[in-house]
Amino acid sequence: MNIKLKALLKSPWVFHLSTGSCNNCDIEILDCLTPRFDIERFGMLLAGSIKHADVLLITGSGNRKSIERLRRLYEQTPKPCLVVAVGECALSRGMFIDSYNCPLPIDKVIPVDVYIPGCPPKPEAIIAGVVRLIEKVKKSAAKK
Amino acid sequence: MTREEILYDLRNKFKDNIIEVFDKSPTRVYIEIKPDSIVQVAGYIFKDLKARFNTASGVDARYHMEILYHFLIEDINLLISLRVKLQKPKLEVDSLSLIFEGSSWIEREMHEILGINFRGHSDLRRLLLPDDWPDGVYPLKRDYKEWDKNAIRDRGV
Repeated sequence: MNIKLKALLKSPWVFHLSTGSCNNCDIEILDCLTPRFDIERFGMLLAGSIKHADVLLITGSGNRKSIERLRRLYEQTPKPCLVVAVGECALSRGMFIDSYNCPLPIDKVIPVDVYIPGCPPKPEAIIAGVVRLIEKVKKSAAKK
Repeated sequence: MTREEILYDLRNKFKDNIIEVFDKSPTRVYIEIKPDSIVQVAGYIFKDLKARFNTASGVDARYHMEILYHFLIEDINLLISLRVKLQKPKLEVDSLSLIFEGSSWIEREMHEILGINFRGHSDLRRLLLPDDWPDGVYPLKRDYKEWDKNAIRDRGV
């Protein structure tokens, strides 16, 4: 494993982006940071700026305006980066699939590495998803 | 003034303009008025009865377009909803933004989403829709059809 990837997986800093969600997923993500679930034991921290982050965490069904912002944020993320979609809306737009303002799912706009379903997903599911993502990247790096 | 006095006062003053008064509950009254008299009635409720303008809501009700202007008289906890029915296809009503500035943005929103034209509004720009949204397409109207050819409407499973 090269040094870049090792540093990325040792302590992935997370940037949390809500592309127009109902805030339930955001509350569950904040729950992950509380002492009860304590996601910091995996080295994860919420970063204040996308330029400090390794993981882009997306909630909400992207609408016409926020999809442009999402594209711009993804361009600014230092590569290699990982993209995590949290919640039914970010996966397939949930109940907003026929909305005039949500033309595209998130994964047609930027590449998504892991999907965490649920409305909203439990903090355990979010942690399990991220841990599995780290394992997946480690395994695929070991093969190379 | 009490609730009964206010309703009596309104009924007397705007005899010719009020079509129907629907007394829903102790805290809620719907008053349907003629579209031409909205400035007069809303101005009276706002200035003389000292009501607060909460918001307005527009509904596309198949045969007509409906606007509800919600006014709250806080002293007696009474919510008055002024109902205006606009006959299709001529969707025009006088703007209230000359009486109170607060109605300016909600009128812009109704203009872009329902296609209602507000006469006398100084600045009917778009409020919420994106810039590349085509002109003359109103998303919450009943006759809205999908215009975006690139939109994907299946879940991909």
